[in-house]
Amino acid sequence: MKRTSATGPAARGDIKMASAATAILDEGTFSIKNTYNEAIVRKFTIAAIIWSLVAFSAGIYIASELAFPQMNIAPYFNFGRLRPVHTTFAVFGFGGNVLFATSLYVVQRTCKARLFGGRALADFVFWGYQLQVVSMGLSYVLGFSKGQEYAEGEWHLDIWLAIVWVCYMTIFFGTLLRRKEPHIYVANWFFLAYMTMILILHIGRNLCVPISFFRAKSYSLFPGVQDAMIQWWYGHNVVGFFLTAGFLGIMYYFIPKAAGRPVYSYRLSIVHFWSLTFLYVWVGAHHLHWTALPDWTQTLGMAFSIMLWMPSWGGMINGIMTLSGAWDKLRTDPGLRFSVTAVAFYGMSTFEGPLMAIRDVNALSHYTDWTIGHVHSGALGWVMLVSFGALYYLVPTLWRKPGMYSHRLMEWHYWLAMTGIIFYIFAMWIAGITQGLMWRAYDDHGFLQYSFVESVAAMHPYYCLRATGGILILTGALLMAYNSFRTIVTPVELFRLAGRRELGVAAAGE
Amino acid sequence: MESKKGDLIVGIMVGIFGLIGLVLASGALDIEIYVFGLSLAGFATLFIFGLVKRFYDEKDVGHGAGGQGGH
Repeated sequence: MKRTSATGPAARGDIKMASAATAILDEGTFSIKNTYNEAIVRKFTIAAIIWSLVAFSAGIYIASELAFPQMNIAPYFNFGRLRPVHTTFAVFGFGGNVLFATSLYVVQRTCKARLFGGRALADFVFWGYQLQVVSMGLSYVLGFSKGQEYAEGEWHLDIWLAIVWVCYMTIFFGTLLRRKEPHIYVANWFFLAYMTMILILHIGRNLCVPISFFRAKSYSLFPGVQDAMIQWWYGHNVVGFFLTAGFLGIMYYFIPKAAGRPVYSYRLSIVHFWSLTFLYVWVGAHHLHWTALPDWTQTLGMAFSIMLWMPSWGGMINGIMTLSGAWDKLRTDPGLRFSVTAVAFYGMSTFEGPLMAIRDVNALSHYTDWTIGHVHSGALGWVMLVSFGALYYLVPTLWRKPGMYSHRLMEWHYWLAMTGIIFYIFAMWIAGITQGLMWRAYDDHGFLQYSFVESVAAMHPYYCLRATGGILILTGALLMAYNSFRTIVTPVELFRLAGRRELGVAAAGE
Repeated sequence: MESKKGDLIVGIMVGIFGLIGLVLASGALDIEIYVFGLSLAGFATLFIFGLVKRFYDEKDVGHGAGGQGGH
Protein backbone atom coordinates (compact mmCIF):
# COMPACT_ATOMS: atom_id res chain seq x y z
CA MET A 1 0.00 0.00 0.00
CA LYS A 2 1.16 3.50 -0.72
CA ARG A 3 1.60 5.65 2.30
CA THR A 4 -0.24 8.97 2.32
CA SER A 5 1.57 12.12 3.30
CA ALA A 6 -0.29 13.74 6.13
CA THR A 7 1.81 15.91 8.28
CA GLY A 8 4.00 18.08 6.15
CA PRO A 9 7.77 17.94 5.91
CA ALA A 10 8.17 15.84 9.00
CA ALA A 11 5.80 13.24 7.69
CA ARG A 12 7.58 13.05 4.36
CA GLY A 13 10.66 11.99 6.22
CA ASP A 14 8.50 9.67 8.24
CA ILE A 15 7.59 7.76 5.10
CA LYS A 16 11.08 6.49 4.42
CA MET A 17 11.79 5.52 7.99
CA ALA A 18 8.48 3.74 8.41
CA SER A 19 9.18 1.67 5.32
CA ALA A 20 12.61 0.76 6.63
CA ALA A 21 11.27 -0.10 10.06
CA THR A 22 8.56 -2.30 8.58
CA ALA A 23 11.17 -4.48 6.96
CA ILE A 24 12.89 -5.24 10.24
CA LEU A 25 11.23 -7.91 12.30
CA ASP A 26 12.97 -7.39 15.61
CA GLU A 27 11.78 -3.86 16.28
CA GLY A 28 13.05 -3.46 19.77
CA THR A 29 16.58 -4.75 19.36
CA PHE A 30 18.93 -1.89 19.89
CA SER A 31 21.82 -3.64 18.18
CA ILE A 32 20.18 -2.87 14.85
CA LYS A 33 20.80 0.79 14.21
CA ASN A 34 18.41 3.22 12.58
CA THR A 35 15.26 1.47 13.67
CA TYR A 36 12.61 2.76 15.97
CA ASN A 37 12.20 1.49 19.49
CA GLU A 38 8.64 0.30 19.07
CA ALA A 39 8.91 -2.30 21.82
CA ILE A 40 8.50 0.43 24.43
CA VAL A 41 5.54 1.94 22.57
CA ARG A 42 3.91 -1.49 22.49
CA LYS A 43 4.37 -1.86 26.25
CA PHE A 44 2.82 1.50 26.98
CA THR A 45 -0.04 0.72 24.58
CA ILE A 46 -0.88 -2.53 26.38
CA ALA A 47 -0.55 -0.82 29.76
CA ALA A 48 -2.93 1.93 28.63
CA ILE A 49 -5.57 -0.62 27.66
CA ILE A 50 -5.22 -2.47 30.97
CA TRP A 51 -5.32 0.74 33.04
CA SER A 52 -8.41 1.92 31.18
CA LEU A 53 -10.27 -1.18 32.38
CA VAL A 54 -9.04 -0.76 35.96
CA ALA A 55 -9.83 2.97 36.03
CA PHE A 56 -13.33 2.54 34.61
CA SER A 57 -14.07 -0.29 37.05
CA ALA A 58 -12.96 1.88 39.98
CA GLY A 59 -15.10 4.71 38.61
CA ILE A 60 -18.19 2.51 38.44
CA TYR A 61 -17.61 1.30 41.97
CA ILE A 62 -17.31 4.78 43.48
CA ALA A 63 -20.27 6.01 41.40
CA SER A 64 -22.27 3.13 42.87
CA GLU A 65 -21.08 4.03 46.36
CA LEU A 66 -22.67 7.45 45.97
CA ALA A 67 -25.92 5.92 44.72
CA PHE A 68 -25.90 3.13 47.30
CA PRO A 69 -23.92 4.27 50.38
CA GLN A 70 -23.98 0.79 51.93
CA MET A 71 -21.35 -0.16 49.35
CA ASN A 72 -18.81 1.88 51.34
CA ILE A 73 -16.80 -0.81 53.10
CA ALA A 74 -14.75 0.81 55.86
CA PRO A 75 -11.98 1.67 55.95
CA TYR A 76 -10.23 0.55 52.79
CA PHE A 77 -13.09 0.87 50.33
CA ASN A 78 -14.67 4.09 51.53
CA PHE A 79 -15.48 6.65 48.86
CA GLY A 80 -12.91 9.02 50.36
CA ARG A 81 -10.10 6.54 49.79
CA LEU A 82 -11.25 5.11 46.47
CA ARG A 83 -12.00 8.40 44.76
CA PRO A 84 -8.32 9.38 44.36
CA VAL A 85 -7.61 5.78 43.34
CA HIS A 86 -10.05 6.22 40.44
CA THR A 87 -8.65 9.61 39.38
CA THR A 88 -5.08 8.36 39.63
CA PHE A 89 -5.77 5.25 37.58
CA ALA A 90 -7.74 7.25 35.00
CA VAL A 91 -5.46 10.29 34.67
CA PHE A 92 -2.03 8.82 35.34
CA GLY A 93 -2.70 5.15 34.63
CA PHE A 94 -4.77 5.32 31.46
CA GLY A 95 -4.09 8.89 30.26
CA GLY A 96 -0.43 8.81 31.24
CA ASN A 97 0.31 5.54 29.47
CA VAL A 98 -1.46 6.77 26.34
CA LEU A 99 0.67 9.93 26.42
CA PHE A 100 3.88 7.98 26.92
CA ALA A 101 3.00 5.58 24.08
CA THR A 102 1.99 8.27 21.62
CA SER A 103 4.71 10.80 22.43
CA LEU A 104 7.46 8.19 22.15
CA TYR A 105 5.95 6.92 18.90
CA VAL A 106 5.45 10.35 17.35
CA VAL A 107 8.83 11.79 18.31
CA GLN A 108 10.65 8.91 16.62
CA ARG A 109 8.61 9.04 13.45
CA THR A 110 8.65 12.79 12.99
CA CYS A 111 12.34 13.17 13.89
CA LYS A 112 13.48 10.11 11.93
CA ALA A 113 15.47 9.10 14.98
CA ARG A 114 15.55 6.21 17.42
CA LEU A 115 14.80 7.00 21.07
CA PHE A 116 17.70 8.53 22.94
CA GLY A 117 19.22 6.79 25.95
CA GLY A 118 18.99 3.16 24.92
CA ARG A 119 16.54 0.46 25.72
CA ALA A 120 17.27 0.24 29.45
CA LEU A 121 16.33 3.85 30.09
CA ALA A 122 13.06 3.47 28.19
CA ASP A 123 12.31 0.27 30.11
CA PHE A 124 13.09 2.02 33.38
CA VAL A 125 10.59 4.75 32.50
CA PHE A 126 7.96 2.14 31.68
CA TRP A 127 8.34 -0.05 34.74
CA GLY A 128 9.09 2.88 37.04
CA TYR A 129 5.90 4.58 35.94
CA GLN A 130 3.81 1.44 36.47
CA LEU A 131 5.32 1.10 39.95
CA GLN A 132 4.36 4.71 40.62
CA VAL A 133 0.72 4.27 39.58
CA VAL A 134 0.32 1.02 41.54
CA SER A 135 2.03 2.56 44.60
CA MET A 136 -0.25 5.59 44.50
CA GLY A 137 -3.37 3.43 44.38
CA LEU A 138 -2.14 1.23 47.22
CA SER A 139 -1.14 4.25 49.28
CA TYR A 140 -4.60 5.85 49.07
CA VAL A 141 -6.37 2.60 49.94
CA LEU A 142 -4.13 2.33 53.01
CA GLY A 143 -5.20 5.84 54.00
CA PHE A 144 -2.09 7.86 53.18
CA SER A 145 -2.83 11.07 51.32
CA LYS A 146 -1.84 14.73 51.25
CA GLY A 147 -5.44 15.62 50.48
CA GLN A 148 -4.44 17.64 47.42
CA GLU A 149 -6.52 16.82 44.36
CA TYR A 150 -4.50 14.99 41.67
CA ALA A 151 -1.43 15.31 43.94
CA GLU A 152 -2.50 13.07 46.80
CA GLY A 153 0.71 11.04 46.87
CA GLU A 154 2.98 11.52 49.86
CA TRP A 155 6.52 12.89 49.53
CA HIS A 156 8.27 9.62 48.67
CA LEU A 157 5.92 8.99 45.76
CA ASP A 158 6.43 12.57 44.56
CA ILE A 159 10.19 12.07 44.47
CA TRP A 160 9.87 8.78 42.60
CA LEU A 161 7.54 10.32 39.99
CA ALA A 162 9.94 13.24 39.52
CA ILE A 163 12.82 10.81 38.87
CA VAL A 164 10.84 8.79 36.35
CA TRP A 165 9.58 11.95 34.69
CA VAL A 166 13.06 13.43 34.30
CA CYS A 167 14.19 10.19 32.64
CA TYR A 168 11.18 10.37 30.30
CA MET A 169 12.03 13.96 29.40
CA THR A 170 15.66 13.01 28.84
CA ILE A 171 14.55 10.41 26.29
CA PHE A 172 12.20 12.82 24.55
CA PHE A 173 14.53 15.83 24.49
CA GLY A 174 17.50 13.68 23.51
CA THR A 175 15.55 12.24 20.59
CA LEU A 176 14.58 15.72 19.46
CA LEU A 177 18.21 16.80 19.63
CA ARG A 178 19.36 13.92 17.43
CA ARG A 179 16.56 14.44 14.89
CA LYS A 180 17.33 14.20 11.21
CA GLU A 181 14.51 16.55 10.26
CA PRO A 182 15.31 20.26 10.68
CA HIS A 183 11.71 21.04 11.57
CA ILE A 184 10.11 20.07 14.86
CA TYR A 185 6.59 18.97 14.01
CA VAL A 186 3.84 20.75 15.97
CA ALA A 187 2.71 17.63 17.83
CA ASN A 188 6.15 17.53 19.46
CA TRP A 189 5.74 21.12 20.62
CA PHE A 190 2.58 20.15 22.44
CA PHE A 191 4.31 17.11 23.95
CA LEU A 192 7.21 19.32 25.02
CA ALA A 193 4.89 21.80 26.71
CA TYR A 194 3.03 19.02 28.48
CA MET A 195 6.05 17.26 29.92
CA THR A 196 7.94 20.43 30.85
CA MET A 197 4.99 22.02 32.59
CA ILE A 198 4.03 18.84 34.38
CA LEU A 199 7.52 18.66 35.89
CA ILE A 200 7.34 22.29 37.02
CA LEU A 201 3.83 21.86 38.39
CA HIS A 202 4.66 18.59 40.11
CA ILE A 203 7.69 20.00 41.90
CA GLY A 204 5.99 23.31 42.71
CA ARG A 205 2.84 21.75 44.15
CA ASN A 206 4.65 19.11 46.15
CA LEU A 207 7.21 21.27 47.93
CA CYS A 208 6.76 20.00 51.45
CA VAL A 209 8.55 19.03 54.65
CA PRO A 210 8.37 15.33 55.60
CA ILE A 211 8.13 14.78 59.34
CA SER A 212 10.57 11.88 59.07
CA PHE A 213 12.53 10.01 56.42
CA PHE A 214 10.77 6.86 57.61
CA ARG A 215 7.20 8.15 57.81
CA ALA A 216 4.75 8.88 54.98
CA LYS A 217 3.57 12.20 56.30
CA SER A 218 4.53 15.72 55.25
CA TYR A 219 3.37 19.31 55.49
CA SER A 220 3.11 21.75 52.59
CA LEU A 221 5.53 24.65 52.44
CA PHE A 222 2.67 27.01 51.64
CA PRO A 223 0.28 28.27 54.29
CA GLY A 224 -3.46 28.96 54.10
CA VAL A 225 -4.90 30.56 51.01
CA GLN A 226 -1.52 30.52 49.29
CA ASP A 227 -1.59 26.75 49.54
CA ALA A 228 -5.06 26.78 47.97
CA MET A 229 -3.79 29.00 45.15
CA ILE A 230 -0.78 26.73 44.56
CA GLN A 231 -3.11 23.74 44.60
CA TRP A 232 -5.33 25.12 41.84
CA TRP A 233 -2.43 26.53 39.86
CA TYR A 234 -1.32 22.90 39.86
CA GLY A 235 -4.75 21.26 39.59
CA HIS A 236 -6.02 23.24 36.65
CA ASN A 237 -2.75 23.02 34.79
CA VAL A 238 -2.76 19.25 35.13
CA VAL A 239 -5.98 19.54 33.16
CA GLY A 240 -4.41 22.14 30.87
CA PHE A 241 -1.11 20.48 30.15
CA PHE A 242 -1.52 16.79 30.94
CA LEU A 243 -5.08 16.31 29.71
CA THR A 244 -5.15 19.03 27.06
CA ALA A 245 -1.74 19.94 25.61
CA GLY A 246 -0.52 16.34 25.63
CA PHE A 247 -3.65 15.04 23.95
CA LEU A 248 -3.56 17.90 21.44
CA GLY A 249 -0.19 16.49 20.42
CA ILE A 250 -2.05 13.24 19.74
CA MET A 251 -4.70 15.11 17.77
CA TYR A 252 -2.13 16.88 15.57
CA TYR A 253 -0.45 13.63 14.59
CA PHE A 254 -3.05 10.89 14.56
CA ILE A 255 -5.99 12.69 12.93
CA PRO A 256 -3.96 13.77 9.87
CA LYS A 257 -2.45 10.29 9.67
CA ALA A 258 -5.76 8.47 9.92
CA ALA A 259 -7.52 10.91 7.60
CA GLY A 260 -4.68 10.93 5.09
CA ARG A 261 -4.85 14.73 4.99
CA PRO A 262 -2.44 17.45 6.08
CA VAL A 263 -3.27 19.62 9.09
CA TYR A 264 -5.91 22.15 7.98
CA SER A 265 -3.74 25.12 8.92
CA TYR A 266 -0.23 24.60 10.17
CA ARG A 267 0.03 28.29 11.01
CA LEU A 268 -3.12 28.07 13.12
CA SER A 269 -1.61 25.13 14.97
CA ILE A 270 1.38 27.27 15.96
CA VAL A 271 -0.90 30.13 17.08
CA HIS A 272 -2.93 27.51 18.95
CA PHE A 273 0.18 26.26 20.72
CA TRP A 274 1.57 29.60 21.90
CA SER A 275 -1.75 31.13 22.91
CA LEU A 276 -2.82 28.00 24.77
CA THR A 277 0.42 27.62 26.69
CA PHE A 278 0.53 31.32 27.55
CA LEU A 279 -3.07 31.59 28.74
CA TYR A 280 -3.53 28.29 30.57
CA VAL A 281 -1.12 28.97 33.43
CA TRP A 282 -3.16 31.92 34.70
CA VAL A 283 -6.58 30.37 35.08
CA GLY A 284 -6.27 28.23 38.23
CA ALA A 285 -7.79 30.94 40.43
CA HIS A 286 -11.23 30.31 38.94
CA HIS A 287 -11.42 27.24 41.18
CA LEU A 288 -11.42 29.57 44.17
CA HIS A 289 -14.24 31.98 43.39
CA TRP A 290 -16.09 33.23 46.46
CA THR A 291 -13.29 32.18 48.80
CA ALA A 292 -10.65 34.01 50.86
CA LEU A 293 -8.58 34.50 47.72
CA PRO A 294 -8.33 38.24 46.87
CA ASP A 295 -10.99 39.46 44.45
CA TRP A 296 -8.46 40.69 41.91
CA THR A 297 -6.89 37.24 41.72
CA GLN A 298 -10.29 35.67 41.13
CA THR A 299 -11.00 38.24 38.41
CA LEU A 300 -7.65 37.54 36.81
CA GLY A 301 -8.42 33.81 36.72
CA MET A 302 -11.86 34.49 35.28
CA ALA A 303 -10.58 36.88 32.58
CA PHE A 304 -7.86 34.50 31.38
CA SER A 305 -10.34 31.62 31.40
CA ILE A 306 -12.61 33.52 29.04
CA MET A 307 -9.67 34.38 26.80
CA LEU A 308 -8.97 30.64 26.55
CA TRP A 309 -12.04 30.32 24.35
CA MET A 310 -10.01 31.64 21.42
CA PRO A 311 -7.12 29.16 21.29
CA SER A 312 -9.33 26.26 22.31
CA TRP A 313 -11.80 26.85 19.52
CA GLY A 314 -9.04 27.68 17.07
CA GLY A 315 -7.52 24.30 17.82
CA MET A 316 -10.84 22.52 17.60
CA ILE A 317 -11.57 24.07 14.21
CA ASN A 318 -8.11 23.08 13.05
CA GLY A 319 -8.64 19.50 14.16
CA ILE A 320 -12.07 19.10 12.62
CA MET A 321 -11.27 20.93 9.37
CA THR A 322 -8.33 18.59 8.84
CA LEU A 323 -10.98 16.20 7.58
CA SER A 324 -11.77 18.52 4.65
CA GLY A 325 -11.94 16.28 1.64
CA ALA A 326 -11.93 13.13 3.75
CA TRP A 327 -15.25 13.32 5.56
CA ASP A 328 -16.34 10.03 4.02
CA LYS A 329 -13.73 8.27 6.13
CA LEU A 330 -15.86 8.90 9.19
CA ARG A 331 -18.28 6.29 7.85
CA THR A 332 -15.64 3.67 7.19
CA ASP A 333 -13.06 4.25 9.93
CA PRO A 334 -14.46 4.07 13.48
CA GLY A 335 -11.00 4.85 14.86
CA LEU A 336 -10.99 8.19 13.10
CA ARG A 337 -14.57 8.77 14.23
CA PHE A 338 -13.42 8.38 17.84
CA SER A 339 -10.77 11.05 17.29
CA VAL A 340 -13.02 13.53 15.52
CA THR A 341 -15.83 13.12 18.04
CA ALA A 342 -13.22 13.76 20.70
CA VAL A 343 -12.31 17.06 19.06
CA ALA A 344 -16.00 18.03 19.04
CA PHE A 345 -16.13 17.26 22.76
CA TYR A 346 -12.95 19.28 23.21
CA GLY A 347 -14.81 22.23 21.72
CA MET A 348 -17.83 21.67 23.93
CA SER A 349 -15.96 21.24 27.18
CA THR A 350 -13.64 24.18 26.50
CA PHE A 351 -16.71 26.30 25.90
CA GLU A 352 -18.30 25.11 29.12
CA GLY A 353 -15.14 25.62 31.23
CA PRO A 354 -14.79 29.38 30.69
CA LEU A 355 -18.55 29.72 31.11
CA MET A 356 -18.30 28.08 34.53
CA ALA A 357 -15.32 30.28 35.36
CA ILE A 358 -17.53 33.38 35.21
CA ARG A 359 -18.02 34.26 38.85
CA ASP A 360 -21.80 34.57 38.71
CA VAL A 361 -22.20 31.26 36.90
CA ASN A 362 -19.75 29.73 39.37
CA ALA A 363 -21.99 30.88 42.24
CA LEU A 364 -24.50 28.32 41.00
CA SER A 365 -22.16 25.60 39.76
CA HIS A 366 -19.44 25.49 42.42
CA TYR A 367 -19.44 22.47 44.78
CA THR A 368 -22.17 20.81 42.69
CA ASP A 369 -22.10 17.81 40.37
CA TRP A 370 -22.13 20.16 37.39
CA THR A 371 -18.37 20.41 37.94
CA ILE A 372 -18.11 16.61 37.86
CA GLY A 373 -20.15 16.57 34.65
CA HIS A 374 -17.87 19.20 33.11
CA VAL A 375 -14.72 17.35 34.09
CA HIS A 376 -16.04 14.14 32.58
CA SER A 377 -17.20 15.77 29.35
CA GLY A 378 -13.51 16.62 28.98
CA ALA A 379 -12.09 13.44 30.48
CA LEU A 380 -14.41 11.01 28.72
CA GLY A 381 -15.49 13.00 25.69
CA TRP A 382 -12.09 14.45 24.83
CA VAL A 383 -9.32 12.49 26.52
CA MET A 384 -10.83 9.01 26.43
CA LEU A 385 -12.16 9.22 22.88
CA VAL A 386 -8.99 10.71 21.39
CA SER A 387 -7.02 8.03 23.25
CA PHE A 388 -9.16 5.27 21.77
CA GLY A 389 -8.69 6.83 18.33
CA ALA A 390 -4.92 6.75 18.81
CA LEU A 391 -4.97 3.20 20.23
CA TYR A 392 -6.99 1.95 17.26
CA TYR A 393 -4.30 3.43 15.04
CA LEU A 394 -1.38 2.15 17.09
CA VAL A 395 -2.42 -1.46 17.72
CA PRO A 396 -2.51 -2.61 14.08
CA THR A 397 0.45 -0.41 13.18
CA LEU A 398 2.72 -1.63 15.97
CA TRP A 399 1.88 -5.29 15.48
CA ARG A 400 2.10 -5.05 11.67
CA LYS A 401 -1.52 -5.94 10.91
CA PRO A 402 -3.60 -4.47 8.10
CA GLY A 403 -6.24 -3.28 10.55
CA MET A 404 -8.15 -4.13 13.70
CA TYR A 405 -9.48 -7.66 14.08
CA SER A 406 -13.13 -6.60 14.03
CA HIS A 407 -14.69 -3.44 12.62
CA ARG A 408 -18.01 -4.39 14.12
CA LEU A 409 -16.56 -4.45 17.62
CA MET A 410 -15.09 -1.01 16.99
CA GLU A 411 -18.54 0.23 15.96
CA TRP A 412 -20.08 -1.28 19.08
CA HIS A 413 -17.38 0.29 21.18
CA TYR A 414 -17.99 3.69 19.65
CA TRP A 415 -21.73 3.69 20.28
CA LEU A 416 -21.42 2.21 23.78
CA ALA A 417 -18.87 4.88 24.67
CA MET A 418 -21.01 7.65 23.20
CA THR A 419 -24.14 6.47 24.98
CA GLY A 420 -22.23 6.09 28.23
CA ILE A 421 -20.79 9.59 28.00
CA ILE A 422 -24.17 11.12 27.26
CA PHE A 423 -25.75 9.25 30.19
CA TYR A 424 -22.94 10.47 32.43
CA ILE A 425 -22.75 14.13 31.53
CA PHE A 426 -26.47 14.77 31.19
CA ALA A 427 -27.11 13.12 34.55
CA MET A 428 -24.44 15.29 36.16
CA TRP A 429 -25.60 18.49 34.50
CA ILE A 430 -29.14 17.98 35.73
CA ALA A 431 -27.93 16.84 39.15
CA GLY A 432 -25.59 19.82 39.50
CA ILE A 433 -28.08 22.48 38.53
CA THR A 434 -30.69 20.83 40.78
CA GLN A 435 -28.24 20.91 43.70
CA GLY A 436 -27.28 24.52 43.05
CA LEU A 437 -30.88 25.63 42.90
CA MET A 438 -31.89 23.63 46.00
CA TRP A 439 -29.01 25.09 48.03
CA ARG A 440 -29.96 28.67 47.20
CA ALA A 441 -33.75 28.31 47.57
CA TYR A 442 -35.29 30.35 50.39
CA ASP A 443 -38.85 30.24 51.75
CA ASP A 444 -41.03 33.26 52.51
CA HIS A 445 -39.48 33.63 55.97
CA GLY A 446 -35.92 33.76 54.66
CA PHE A 447 -35.02 30.25 55.79
CA LEU A 448 -33.33 27.70 53.54
CA GLN A 449 -36.08 25.74 51.82
CA TYR A 450 -34.18 22.45 51.73
CA SER A 451 -31.84 20.80 54.18
CA PHE A 452 -28.57 19.54 52.74
CA VAL A 453 -29.60 15.92 53.13
CA GLU A 454 -32.67 16.54 50.99
CA SER A 455 -30.42 17.67 48.17
CA VAL A 456 -28.37 14.49 48.64
CA ALA A 457 -31.49 12.31 48.48
CA ALA A 458 -32.63 14.12 45.33
CA MET A 459 -29.45 12.99 43.58
CA HIS A 460 -30.16 9.27 43.81
CA PRO A 461 -31.67 8.77 40.31
CA TYR A 462 -28.92 10.80 38.67
CA TYR A 463 -26.23 8.86 40.50
CA CYS A 464 -27.79 5.61 39.30
CA LEU A 465 -27.88 6.98 35.75
CA ARG A 466 -24.22 7.96 36.02
CA ALA A 467 -23.20 4.49 37.20
CA THR A 468 -25.14 3.04 34.25
CA GLY A 469 -23.20 5.31 31.90
CA GLY A 470 -19.99 4.06 33.46
CA ILE A 471 -21.00 0.43 32.90
CA LEU A 472 -21.61 1.17 29.21
CA ILE A 473 -18.20 2.82 28.93
CA LEU A 474 -16.49 -0.12 30.64
CA THR A 475 -18.32 -2.58 28.37
CA GLY A 476 -17.05 -0.69 25.33
CA ALA A 477 -13.51 -0.70 26.71
CA LEU A 478 -13.72 -4.46 27.29
CA LEU A 479 -14.66 -4.88 23.63
CA MET A 480 -11.64 -2.76 22.69
CA ALA A 481 -9.36 -4.86 24.88
CA TYR A 482 -10.68 -8.07 23.31
CA ASN A 483 -10.44 -6.61 19.81
CA SER A 484 -6.88 -5.45 20.46
CA PHE A 485 -5.91 -8.85 21.87
CA ARG A 486 -7.31 -10.64 18.82
CA THR A 487 -5.61 -8.15 16.51
CA ILE A 488 -2.28 -8.86 18.17
CA VAL A 489 -2.54 -12.67 18.21
CA THR A 490 -4.22 -13.24 14.84
CA PRO A 491 -1.63 -14.03 12.15
CA VAL A 492 -1.49 -11.48 9.38
CA GLU A 493 -2.25 -14.18 6.79
CA LEU A 494 -5.69 -14.68 8.29
CA PHE A 495 -6.48 -11.01 7.76
CA ARG A 496 -5.62 -11.43 4.11
CA LEU A 497 -7.66 -14.61 3.80
CA ALA A 498 -10.62 -12.89 5.38
CA GLY A 499 -10.29 -10.18 2.77
CA ARG A 500 -10.70 -7.38 5.28
CA ARG A 501 -9.56 -4.67 2.93
CA GLU A 502 -11.59 -2.01 4.71
CA LEU A 503 -9.57 -2.63 7.87
CA GLY A 504 -6.52 -1.21 6.20
CA VAL A 505 -7.75 2.37 6.64
CA ALA A 506 -6.24 3.04 10.01
CA ALA A 507 -2.92 1.48 9.16
CA ALA A 508 -2.65 2.61 5.58
CA GLY A 509 0.80 2.09 4.23
CA GLU A 510 2.36 0.87 7.43
CA MET B 1 27.81 1.57 22.38
CA GLU B 2 25.29 4.14 23.56
CA SER B 3 23.00 1.35 24.65
CA LYS B 4 25.69 -0.51 26.56
CA LYS B 5 26.73 2.64 28.36
CA GLY B 6 23.09 3.52 28.94
CA ASP B 7 22.36 0.06 30.36
CA LEU B 8 25.25 0.40 32.79
CA ILE B 9 24.24 3.85 33.99
CA VAL B 10 20.59 2.86 34.37
CA GLY B 11 21.60 -0.37 36.11
CA ILE B 12 23.72 1.47 38.67
CA MET B 13 21.00 4.08 39.19
CA VAL B 14 18.34 1.43 39.77
CA GLY B 15 20.69 -0.45 42.09
CA ILE B 16 21.02 2.66 44.25
CA PHE B 17 17.24 3.05 44.30
CA GLY B 18 16.96 -0.56 45.44
CA LEU B 19 19.35 0.09 48.33
CA ILE B 20 17.40 3.20 49.32
CA GLY B 21 14.28 1.04 49.25
CA LEU B 22 15.86 -1.43 51.66
CA VAL B 23 16.93 1.38 54.01
CA LEU B 24 13.39 2.81 53.92
CA ALA B 25 11.84 -0.59 54.67
CA SER B 26 14.29 -1.34 57.46
CA GLY B 27 13.56 1.86 59.39
CA ALA B 28 9.91 2.31 58.38
CA LEU B 29 7.64 3.82 61.02
CA ASP B 30 4.44 3.14 59.10
CA ILE B 31 3.16 0.51 56.70
CA GLU B 32 3.24 2.83 53.70
CA ILE B 33 6.99 3.42 53.83
CA TYR B 34 7.54 -0.27 54.60
CA VAL B 35 5.55 -1.41 51.56
CA PHE B 36 7.05 1.25 49.31
CA GLY B 37 10.59 0.45 50.41
CA LEU B 38 10.15 -3.25 49.76
CA SER B 39 8.47 -2.52 46.42
CA LEU B 40 11.39 -0.35 45.40
CA ALA B 41 13.89 -3.02 46.38
CA GLY B 42 11.90 -5.70 44.56
CA PHE B 43 11.57 -3.51 41.51
CA ALA B 44 15.30 -2.87 41.43
CA THR B 45 16.13 -6.57 41.81
CA LEU B 46 13.85 -7.63 38.99
CA PHE B 47 14.93 -4.79 36.75
CA ILE B 48 18.63 -5.51 37.14
CA PHE B 49 17.96 -9.23 36.70
CA GLY B 50 16.25 -8.33 33.42
CA LEU B 51 19.26 -6.30 32.31
CA VAL B 52 21.66 -9.14 33.12
CA LYS B 53 19.45 -11.66 31.35
CA ARG B 54 19.21 -9.51 28.25
CA PHE B 55 22.96 -9.00 28.19
CA TYR B 56 23.62 -12.75 28.13
CA ASP B 57 20.75 -13.41 25.71
CA GLU B 58 22.26 -10.99 23.26
CA LYS B 59 25.69 -12.46 23.79
CA ASP B 60 24.28 -15.92 22.99
CA VAL B 61 22.61 -14.60 19.86
CA GLY B 62 25.90 -12.96 18.89
CA HIS B 63 27.77 -16.23 19.37
CA GLY B 64 25.11 -18.09 17.41
CA ALA B 65 25.33 -15.67 14.52
CA GLY B 66 29.12 -15.75 14.66
CA GLY B 67 29.07 -19.53 14.65
CA GLN B 68 26.80 -19.71 11.65
CA GLY B 69 28.92 -17.17 9.83
CA GLY B 70 32.03 -19.26 10.56
CA HIS B 71 30.55 -22.37 9.04
